[in-house]
Amino acid sequence: MTSMDVPLEGGGKQAGSAKTAVRTAVARPRLTWLTLAFMTTSSVASLRAAPTMAVYGLACVFLYVVPAIVFLLPTALVSAELASGWNGGVYNWVAQGLSKRMGFLAVWCQFAMTIFYYPTLLGYVASTIAYVIDPSLASNGPYTACVIVILYWAGVWVSSRGTSGVGGMASFGLIIGTLIPGALLVLLGVVFLGQGNPSAAPMDAGAIFPQWTGIASLVLIVNNFLSYSGMEMNAVHVSSLKNPAREFPRAMFLAMALVLLIFILPALAISWVVPAAQLSLTAGVMQAFDAFFQYFNIGWLTPLVAIGLVAASLGGMLTWLAGPSKGLLLISRQEGYLPPFLQKLNKNGVQQNILVAQGVVTTAIALMYALIPSVSSAYWIFSVITTQVYLIMYLLMFVAALRLRRLQPDHPRGYRAPMLAVLCVMGFLASVAAMIIGFVPSSQFGSGSVWSYVVIVAGGLLLLGIVIPFGFLWASKPSWRQPDAAAAAEGGA
Amino acid sequence: MTESTATPPAQPPQDPAHPGHHKERNKWVFIGAIVLAVILAIILLVTYTQHKHSAEAASKARQLQAAMVAAGYPEPDEDTLIAIFGRDGGAVCKDPTGALNKAQWLDNMANGAGGPGMRPVIADRKAVAAEAIVISVYCPDHLQAFQDKIDDLKTGTTVRR
Repeated sequence: MTSMDVPLEGGGKQAGSAKTAVRTAVARPRLTWLTLAFMTTSSVASLRAAPTMAVYGLACVFLYVVPAIVFLLPTALVSAELASGWNGGVYNWVAQGLSKRMGFLAVWCQFAMTIFYYPTLLGYVASTIAYVIDPSLASNGPYTACVIVILYWAGVWVSSRGTSGVGGMASFGLIIGTLIPGALLVLLGVVFLGQGNPSAAPMDAGAIFPQWTGIASLVLIVNNFLSYSGMEMNAVHVSSLKNPAREFPRAMFLAMALVLLIFILPALAISWVVPAAQLSLTAGVMQAFDAFFQYFNIGWLTPLVAIGLVAASLGGMLTWLAGPSKGLLLISRQEGYLPPFLQKLNKNGVQQNILVAQGVVTTAIALMYALIPSVSSAYWIFSVITTQVYLIMYLLMFVAALRLRRLQPDHPRGYRAPMLAVLCVMGFLASVAAMIIGFVPSSQFGSGSVWSYVVIVAGGLLLLGIVIPFGFLWASKPSWRQPDAAAAAEGGA
Repeated sequence: MTESTATPPAQPPQDPAHPGHHKERNKWVFIGAIVLAVILAIILLVTYTQHKHSAEAASKARQLQAAMVAAGYPEPDEDTLIAIFGRDGGAVCKDPTGALNKAQWLDNMANGAGGPGMRPVIADRKAVAAEAIVISVYCPDHLQAFQDKIDDLKTGTTVRR
């Protein structure tokens, strides 16, 4: 796997600009707005959470709609406006609206949070396959380690071949692993009710709101804001669209609708058919799907749905591999924030060295997750820390969007979000609330000291979200900059 | 609700010099992925075994039904219980307290995210405890260890029943 810079698009006709592009170009194969919408949907939504949310019955609608109003809407509309005016995604928005250092911090937070995500995602993939083949494999460390490492590096390989491949695979995964099984669940659920069967979960007006028991309910509602995190991530590919100004907002609106439908309807359908007792939170996702299909005597669909869930998970993983690392590359080339080795591109114009470096770290973490029991049992804490880190990015994005409206009011935008100030304030406050709630100990922490939990989460947040990125900024050298890259990367500004 | 401006932003750069080449190579990756998915689907379909009806499976299912109702849960369907748990509890009884299985069920006590936004919550007490009832019927040897694990959890009442 050699690393090299990409030849300029347009061949050698314009020598001067060719020199620039040789250093700066990141492969920009065309994506259609539909593919980008599917990529965004694939990044955010899947059926993985449907059994978990089905436990709440009709209240799952509330648990998804309220966060959609206060977090999904601001995130989607604000990023639609920003992406329709500026190329490069969140790093460029924050760099333009606040500062380049903050731009690096924003994209770092987006990038860093994924490192701990892959082992759990692929661990889930391993257990999904194991459920069908041999359930005892799910607790087998070497099996889990092999699945994680092989699938992760296969994902890196696919990502290193360019955005269009990622877009195609993510769309494929979304269709066969989320849209088709999701539609099937809803169809069977409707048939179930249509046959006159009573819903397994109460569906009367009183069941609309979740049980209110103070802090536990608040944690549930506020943490659900994060269900929609990632809507902005694929904006880094906006320059791959034919007409970003018009097409990105269109992709975002479609993704928003799909995400809501994917989250709400299948969860509701499961809650109609499968009694809550069989949706035990400790039972696993596949058991719930199995119970659903067994009820209709079509248990043979369980392995096919398992394949679909695996495909959807891998498709989603590809979008996360391709997105934040590209943003990190772009600002690092502009400002020299990463060593030249990490700035190199492969022959497809992909940030292969960043992906490989990330892969080495992820592999080490994944092996610990799979093979060291004390790590796997405590791994959930990383999802708390990484989501806290991700929220820093949202805080920066909302502030940057407000400032860009004020600092560059006449900058051409294909789409202007209505009431941007309200959206930004709402999104900012929602992010702050989610960050504060992140310090409330969850079930997994048991009866441990609250202050220990706060110290662990704050320490992780500080290390991953502040110390490491500012360490890179501190270590960066002017000689690592590629000034020509800056001009191209800021093309949208 | 939306408002569009007439002026588009900067146009994106052109495609790389050989877009067709990219497309051709990606086509083969795509075909390879579909072939692998089909092979895996065949393997899963062949290896997936549904639990068969038997007197013992039916007896266990009825035991579980009774235990669930006694614990205040709605009565689950007997045939579905037989199909999921069979005689031996199926996946539920395969090392339920093992580190990786525990990591998975700890992960499930999360919000409604389907991506990296997954984050733990304070889980509902009865939704967590249901599995212990299943284990008590199908693999009571694991019950104490499992009960100890879930007793360590901080739970609340977040599901309206």
